[in-house]
Amino acid sequence: MKVCMFHLMPYRVLPNDFKEHYKSVWVDIPSELFDPQVGAQLYDEYLDQLEYAATLGFDGICVNEHHQNGYGLMPSPNLMAASLARRTKDVAIIVLGNSVALYNPPTRVAEEFAMLDCLTGGRLVAGFPVGTSQDTNFAYSVNPATLREQYYEAVDLIVDAWTRPEVFSFDGKYTQLRYVNIWPRPIQKPHPPVWIPGGRSIETWGWSLDHNFVYASLSYGGYKRAQTTMDHFWQVADKKGYDRNPYRAGFLQLVVVGNSRDEIDDKYAQHVEYFYNQMLHVWPGYQDAPGYRSIDTIKASLTGGTAQLGDAVTRYAPWKQLVDNGNVVVGTPSQVAEELEHLARSLHVGHLMLLNQIGSMPPDLARENIRLTATEVLPKIRHLWDGEWEDHWWIASQRSPAAAGALS
Amino acid sequence: MSSRLLQIHGGQLEIDELGSGSPVVYLHGIWDAHEDAFVEELARSFSVTRLHLPGFGQSTGDEKLQDVHDAIYWLLDALDAAGISEAALIGHCLGGMLAAELAAVQPRRFPKLVLISPFGLWNGLHPTMDFFAASAAQLAEALHGPGAAAPLPGGQSLEEVVARAKAREVAARFLWPLPNRGLNKRIHRITMPTLLVWGSEDGITPPDYGQDFRQLIPSSELHVVQGAAHMPHLAQPQAVATLVEAFLK
Repeated sequence: MKVCMFHLMPYRVLPNDFKEHYKSVWVDIPSELFDPQVGAQLYDEYLDQLEYAATLGFDGICVNEHHQNGYGLMPSPNLMAASLARRTKDVAIIVLGNSVALYNPPTRVAEEFAMLDCLTGGRLVAGFPVGTSQDTNFAYSVNPATLREQYYEAVDLIVDAWTRPEVFSFDGKYTQLRYVNIWPRPIQKPHPPVWIPGGRSIETWGWSLDHNFVYASLSYGGYKRAQTTMDHFWQVADKKGYDRNPYRAGFLQLVVVGNSRDEIDDKYAQHVEYFYNQMLHVWPGYQDAPGYRSIDTIKASLTGGTAQLGDAVTRYAPWKQLVDNGNVVVGTPSQVAEELEHLARSLHVGHLMLLNQIGSMPPDLARENIRLTATEVLPKIRHLWDGEWEDHWWIASQRSPAAAGALS
Repeated sequence: MSSRLLQIHGGQLEIDELGSGSPVVYLHGIWDAHEDAFVEELARSFSVTRLHLPGFGQSTGDEKLQDVHDAIYWLLDALDAAGISEAALIGHCLGGMLAAELAAVQPRRFPKLVLISPFGLWNGLHPTMDFFAASAAQLAEALHGPGAAAPLPGGQSLEEVVARAKAREVAARFLWPLPNRGLNKRIHRITMPTLLVWGSEDGITPPDYGQDFRQLIPSSELHVVQGAAHMPHLAQPQAVATLVEAFLK
């Protein structure tokens, strides 16, 4: 199993009573709440944490994309990946991802990911989320009625741009290009592994499988609530005749590791509560623009049970509830290892992403959480799936000595 | 009222036909596709054809419409299939924007035009409401006036929920993110007598837009229905129908 550390890069010093006084952490969060001097310090802190995680042995480190969002300071994840590229050596750099409808033209994504793959020596994992409604429809005003169609067209164009050797024209519905011919090209062949970070659109599962992409379930709801989603994903895989290779899937889980439950309650509870109750305070009207979910997905959610990413917590969610519901996995290293192994087996995933810096968690606590996770939990769980399944969706990396010869 | 389905290029068209007299075409808005009070009043004096916009009722083909120009051609195909060579054209809300576009494209086909709180212009000084992002309570007030209550959640059939989601999706297709698709470039072609009807409490398309349309269509007159909100023709169907009837005759 691959275990990766995910970072959101939150503005972790929003007011403690943010939810009471402000409409939304996303889209129209007031600009006066962002102090650039603080922001600069936070970027350093968080990049340090990702590099730290790499040195301690996480298989990959993950960055993502959000816009106009107080809990996610990376409108450009590629800038972060580039910052990490030359200061890391073997760790996979997982960009989760480029929200392709927000890049014009989509070949920009193909180019930047090719650059990153070269810069990292073939360590890039390329993520293509559709993007949240907040980011796409509201922050960038992409039409929700056509977003998905635009997204599918863009992903096909990006893969073609990476793989077709000739100069070609593209006459699409959303993009028209006369000369597609990207320089550079990625190191990994045929292209970097592609992961699709997703919510619960039923179309995404089949499409990911058909394109040989990983479906990475990203939500803050935790593993218990995700069971239905992942069950549906594997049912789609069965129906389409794909094997149940767990490396076709990924999952994000919030984790706090400590020496005792009391210690964790004492030091960490307030930061996790802050995340769920203050930082996820999003105006409901920004969560689901009409057309963002297809009619089929809407019907499925009404009749069948795939819950909503944004069915965030409207009532206050106390720490105990967050732990009991599995939003966050907490405990001593053995306890956490056991629960993560159970989670990975139940959901049947081969790529586990862990969020260790949560909410207002300051750097000393975040680093301790990262350290304990990496040194005492990872060794207990990374054996999972060994000997049973191959990961065909991982980096193929490493620079070639032959290239040095070509340049001398 | 009789309904029929016609096959047109790109899908299926549902039309309702009622009344007798000189022909009138009605293009509904986002929230009144199945409200009959106004068209029934009109049917006392006119032969009314209500077209269901694609995505509403049993009209299909909305996913093929990329922009307002595609919608105009869908509507021209629909009018041809319904056998309407010339008629007075009435449009409300989203249907009002499309009616204005049709009138600009084929002014000789529509000797008179009625626009009831239409979309189509954007004025940053008095923005239209972002009703897509509004709460149920905010939307209720904007649609029906101050003090209007939001409908209670739950209690709707799956079909009703899906129809509502689809209506909003079609609205988004044409009105996202700002309801300006370039009508101002062609509005000079609207030269037929035009009646503009607005509710004084309209929170979706503020009454200031009535003034904007009035300025841009010299052959127009503006009537504000006091106390009504976004759907004055449903708040006061008899009064608005009488007004429209007098204008059309």
